Amino acid sequence: MNLIRAIAAALLVLCTSSFGLAQAQERTAVRQGFTLPPNSGKTILLFRPTIRVGAQSTGGMFEPNADWTAQGREHMGVSLRQLQDRLGNRVIEASEPIGEQALLVAEHMALFAAVSSSVINYQFFVGNRLPTKKRDNRNDVFEWTLGPQVARLPGAADADYGLFIYTEDQYGSTGRKVLQAFAMLGGVGVQSGVHSGYAGLVDLKTGELLWLNADGKMGGDVRTPEGAEKRMRQLLEEFPGSSVQTAPAA
Amino acid sequence: MLKSLLKPVLLISAAAALTAPAALSANDLIKSGETVAVAKSTLSITPPRDWNKLSARPGKKAETWTLDGEQLNDISFYSDIAPGEPLLRERSKKRDPLPKLRSNSLLTDVPEFLEGTYRAHFGIAVFSLGASKPTKFLNEPAIQFTYEYVTPDELTRRGEAIAVLRSGKLFMITYDAPKLHFFERNIEDYRAVVASAKIA
Repeated sequence: MNLIRAIAAALLVLCTSSFGLAQAQERTAVRQGFTLPPNSGKTILLFRPTIRVGAQSTGGMFEPNADWTAQGREHMGVSLRQLQDRLGNRVIEASEPIGEQALLVAEHMALFAAVSSSVINYQFFVGNRLPTKKRDNRNDVFEWTLGPQVARLPGAADADYGLFIYTEDQYGSTGRKVLQAFAMLGGVGVQSGVHSGYAGLVDLKTGELLWLNADGKMGGDVRTPEGAEKRMRQLLEEFPGSSVQTAPAA
Repeated sequence: MLKSLLKPVLLISAAAALTAPAALSANDLIKSGETVAVAKSTLSITPPRDWNKLSARPGKKAETWTLDGEQLNDISFYSDIAPGEPLLRERSKKRDPLPKLRSNSLLTDVPEFLEGTYRAHFGIAVFSLGASKPTKFLNEPAIQFTYEYVTPDELTRRGEAIAVLRSGKLFMITYDAPKLHFFERNIEDYRAVVASAKIA
């Protein structure tokens, strides 16, 4: 009897996890009332993107890889420089912070990732929305913030908005892929690899998130120039006022 | 024979269940002004504002409420934790055991019990306990304490907790949020929840 119950539980897990993956789609949102036409006279402060690249262990833990991260940073940096002129408004690059300021920027990048992840999980993802966020969706409300302390970020006084870009890639290890294959044989869905990317525009006076493009399943291998360009285009597509187009499918 | 063939599949299923997003699970609305029992216990709360109760429980005798997601503001209730029991659900009793409440645990041991649990369960290397002070909770002598730690996503978080031991069993309410903005933004909401706590 217990065995039958366990098999039923396994099938339930299969259904729920498969459904979850199918529903985890890319989404973009804009704060109510926010518009940014091209050549609006506004200045965008571009922070150096946070790029984390590594492997996903058999148990699903992130294991950073320094070489892959360096490749990702290099290629994503090149792509961003090629695309930032097409964002439609004046873009200035934040200077490389040092000391306390570097810590402050890094902490804000981590907070931006946590906020973006929460938006995906609890406002975008239909099957898992928080009841209070469902109410927001019904009223067309998209209210998320990093907090007014963003005004203390280096360079914030010289710009209107801050552009935050964060990507994390975990390539499935051999052990993880083997687990995925065995799980598939057993009819169970186990995800191998994580490819998350978030791009967000933040009001540098209030900390309010004005625009967000957040996707838990991004394309493009950031370790290659072509893949990094595809990823960066995906991140910046639908940026308010921009002419960045998504790369055509290969 | 059938059992031995199915065993790996069932183990993987269990692992997938633990790692899969809480898909299709309904998170519940906790309405302001309504009294609700928490963590499957006789501990009740009457919140002065709306909260969301996450369907995923961090432990058998635990429950989490949030406003924007547990990464941004997390109130967790732990109720009726008996000696020999961990605070959170153990991923693996053999490979990743969690600290257990001891029968001779004192209120002053609770902060280290929480620290040990967080370090082991969340893989935290940087954790520091802040100030602690005696207080009253559920009409009994209790301890209130603060802490700060860095999670593997490189975000610094702060926490505040209040705990009481009733007949050797632990009742605790914690609040965890990023140090930047979110901790200060909702700390008074947490304290209002604590102030409304009652036990039958």
